[in-house]
Amino acid sequence: MAVRGRTAVVAVVWAALLAVAAAGAAAAWQQRGVADQWRDRAVARQTERDEALGRVEALQRQLDEVTASLATSEADVAALEQRISELANEKAQAEDTATTVQVQRDAVVDLTQKVATSVTSLDECVTRLLVLQRESVEAFNAAAAGQDVDVEPLNASLRETTGFCDDARAAAAQAAAAAEALPR
Amino acid sequence: MRRSGVLLAAVLALGACVPAPPPEEPRADVAVLEGLDLDEPAAESVLRRAREITVRIRSFGCDQLGIGSGFVLPGGVVVTNRHVVEEPREVTLNTWDGRSLRAAVDGVAVDSDLAVLTLAADPGLPVAELAGEPPEPGQDVIAVGYPGGGPATVSTGRVVDVTDAQVLGEPAGVVVVDAPIRQGNSGGPLLDEQGRVVGVVFALDVRTGYGLAVPVTTLLERLGADAFAAPSGSC
Repeated sequence: MAVRGRTAVVAVVWAALLAVAAAGAAAAWQQRGVADQWRDRAVARQTERDEALGRVEALQRQLDEVTASLATSEADVAALEQRISELANEKAQAEDTATTVQVQRDAVVDLTQKVATSVTSLDECVTRLLVLQRESVEAFNAAAAGQDVDVEPLNASLRETTGFCDDARAAAAQAAAAAEALPR
Repeated sequence: MRRSGVLLAAVLALGACVPAPPPEEPRADVAVLEGLDLDEPAAESVLRRAREITVRIRSFGCDQLGIGSGFVLPGGVVVTNRHVVEEPREVTLNTWDGRSLRAAVDGVAVDSDLAVLTLAADPGLPVAELAGEPPEPGQDVIAVGYPGGGPATVSTGRVVDVTDAQVLGEPAGVVVVDAPIRQGNSGGPLLDEQGRVVGVVFALDVRTGYGLAVPVTTLLERLGADAFAAPSGSC
């Protein structure tokens, strides 16, 4: 009776051990599958990481190239802006000169016109004076010869000549003022 | 083997003694703002703005060619000194990039050395920003202009004084600066570190060597009150 009981216990223990072993084996098999899945996942991630790192390196190289190009471009832009500034300055100086010369030219043209007007007026004045002188001498001679002399035409000629000569003097004064106002 | 080790150690020790290379020098164009508390990008930005808003003014009046400076405000308005454009027959502006623009004198301030011009056509020039307050003594400032009728220059300095007293006939107060000012700077802007206009340069005090500027508040008051008269046009 005791022997049968012990055999039964041993059988139960063996059965339990077998069950545990089977369960363990099943768990191990399952875990190995899971581990394989994780390993596959890890390999996939590793590949993705390597690809991403490759892209990063490629982008960094492009970035470095663009940065270098930008630095060169900035230096070029600065040099070009400097050149623009220099040319603008030269242009402004040339415009200064052109403006000054233009004003001087305008002033000289104005002076020339005024001098020409003055000369014409003075010439007219001298001509009138000579005529008046001749008329006066003729009047004196006629008076000396005992002839009646009408002085009114002589006075009219004098007034007219005086008017011409006043105009000539005014024109000469305008020319002198224009000469005085010439840009230095 | 032992000798090689010693040699290697010596080379490494010598290598450690090599000093670090000098830092990169600032670019020549921004070097003028070295004295200010600005990093390079900020200095470059201020410098660019200063150059863009400042114009060279050629005024021909009473058979005298006058050269000065000015700066652009919105609406094609240009601010300069009264003495730069008084009795003008012809006013032309030159920009930093070579544009030549016709302008007419809109008005001159009766009691201050200020004048406003209007551009015949608005070419969309960058415009200056006016500060709301005058600078304070000790503040860093930037003077921009075309001294001697030459190329645009930028110089820096500090505000020595802001006085309400009459200086050289300017009744409305004056900003005194130690930034180098020369003939031709007249009418140019005095800027703060942010590139805002804090004054209008109008003279050099030959006794002290200091530059003088009309405070921006005076300009704002005159612009606000439209206190500008037509130029006399007589010589």
